[in-house]
Amino acid sequence: MATVNPATYSCALHPLSDLTPPSLERTWLTAPHPHLPIVATCGSDKTVRVYSLTNFRLLSTISGGHKRSVRTAAWKPHIQGESVLATGSFDATAGIWRRWDSYGHADDEQGGCGPRTRPGLEHDHDPDAKENNRTDILRREDSGAEDEDNEEWRFAVLLDGHDSEVKSVSWSPSGMLLATCSRDKSIWIWEDLDDGDNNFETVAVMQEHEGDVKCVAWHPVEECLASASYDDTIRIWREDLDDWGQVACLRGHSGTVWFVDWEGVQNVPVCSPELTGQDNETLLSQWRETGQRALSGPRLVSCSDDRTIRVWRRQPKEQSGGGYENTGVPSILRPTGTDETWEEEAILPTIHDLAVYAVAWSKRTGLVASVGADGRVVLYEERIVADLKSDSSQEVMETDLPLPPRTEWVIATVLTGAHGIYEINHAAWAKRADRDRDESKDEEVLVTTADDGSVKVWTVER
Amino acid sequence: MESAMQNSNPTILNIADLPTRLYPEPSGKSGTRRVGIFASTDSSVADPSNFAVSPYASAESDDDVNLMEEPIDEQEIYDLVSTISDPEHPISLGALAVVSLPDIEITPTLPEVPGSLVRTVTVLITPTITHCSLATVIGLGVRVRLEQSLPPRFRVDVRIKEGTHSTAEEVNKQLADKERVAAALENGTLMGVIAKMLETCQ
Repeated sequence: MATVNPATYSCALHPLSDLTPPSLERTWLTAPHPHLPIVATCGSDKTVRVYSLTNFRLLSTISGGHKRSVRTAAWKPHIQGESVLATGSFDATAGIWRRWDSYGHADDEQGGCGPRTRPGLEHDHDPDAKENNRTDILRREDSGAEDEDNEEWRFAVLLDGHDSEVKSVSWSPSGMLLATCSRDKSIWIWEDLDDGDNNFETVAVMQEHEGDVKCVAWHPVEECLASASYDDTIRIWREDLDDWGQVACLRGHSGTVWFVDWEGVQNVPVCSPELTGQDNETLLSQWRETGQRALSGPRLVSCSDDRTIRVWRRQPKEQSGGGYENTGVPSILRPTGTDETWEEEAILPTIHDLAVYAVAWSKRTGLVASVGADGRVVLYEERIVADLKSDSSQEVMETDLPLPPRTEWVIATVLTGAHGIYEINHAAWAKRADRDRDESKDEEVLVTTADDGSVKVWTVER
Repeated sequence: MESAMQNSNPTILNIADLPTRLYPEPSGKSGTRRVGIFASTDSSVADPSNFAVSPYASAESDDDVNLMEEPIDEQEIYDLVSTISDPEHPISLGALAVVSLPDIEITPTLPEVPGSLVRTVTVLITPTITHCSLATVIGLGVRVRLEQSLPPRFRVDVRIKEGTHSTAEEVNKQLADKERVAAALENGTLMGVIAKMLETCQ
């Protein structure tokens, strides 16, 4: 374990609230809605609980669809007027659930931030359900009416295909594709035909992994999928001429890779405190503009049973030919076809004493959060540091693209026993929505999900 | 699994020679503690359907506070797992020396965190023969037994003793995988086998 002096922590985690009432059994994961102030918590009790992030109360319990534990869930992005939730269960199926959003009231509650439901938006399918389910999700919590909750979520379709437990589900950035993965070692990609009849078409089945596929996560903007596995690898998948295939296999972890998450597209590290203001400006603009970084695209963070958290970066293809003339690289050495080269860029300071189950890279602040079997929540911050060797490295890299400024990862805070004696299974960042928030800032909360069924919401003081 | 017996003639130890605190002892602190732990586990062991419904219920019903007052030691762990039956023979894991007292260890999980109550129970399993494919099932039985009997502050680490099994690494990885173990607890067929093994636990 790395030695850390708490006095140097740049962040502090403060408990904001528990989600109440909690499940009395293990909860696996909590998925924040892309724009509404709600989350979905998956549990061993075969249900999904939908809670408000405004008052932290239970809004609905979705039950009856899965025969075994619900392991995972993901909200479909970019849809207006309706919320669509995909769930994955140990019963080997994925479920799709729908519910009409409020018309008008959600806007008041949201405090005017971010994308929102559009009042009066017309849907051309399932008109009966729409009429019956128009009640406002947020108004309902105030009136205390909870009896009809189960009817509000419409079970749309069961995606059947995996041979064993579904471990993770993820929607592509456009919301057109859903990826599911399983202990059967396969990843399925389904296309939501959006035809009003809840039809999904199997687009691809990828079976290259040699063990359970624990997690799938789509690139934030491209149709590119990352997967993490019991075979200790991470794999990257893309479509090439109608065929989905593996374009990279990332080796480095020495145990099951439990989770992967992508960097935000606009992410910029903070500057090290030792640097002067003028340096900061130069370095930050270098970070944004260096060709190599721009061509690499968002990085990937992974966590593992080996207790480490690693950051991976794609090597820009243009580096070995392509757009640059006379680089002297023989064609035989250039990546062929769609193959990509990913390199391990950093191992974050190792704090966890047991398996790290989840990692979450904030799209707002760039902070990385990790949680695991040791009951710790750890935050990491990436800092740009002055590179003393920059002159010599420029010379060596003459024919190359300019490198982005060097960064280092530091521990921003460590909280031990965040859920008491219990293991923490998942962490996710969400927009803060309670009444005590500072509306002038785009505040964020961390949501952690534990073995005893508790889900806690934390604020980060930076 | 049940068709061909893998080890038809295992070495069996005399039960009277095994270390135990299960039977009345003239001295010692065992009396009250034993009642607390075993009372709550008996019901779940006797009724296999309980496993599927709520694998953690028995652990949770044991109030932390109760158990922290009376420390759990290696002997107690041994008594919990040595009475499990081998899936092939109507003989206990203790009598087959699959589990033994020196191969059980309780350590602080977070040694550098003063005051942390979390403990790791490590149980090393010695399969009766080096290629026994039932090693995973035996390991799972031990893990299930401990998870259902011990309070939640215990992390259960069940592994094959080094050098005693040809695919130990593979088995260890499965037994350490929380998600796989959780899913196995919801698998009726597998839990039927485990419940049968645990029938002999007191």
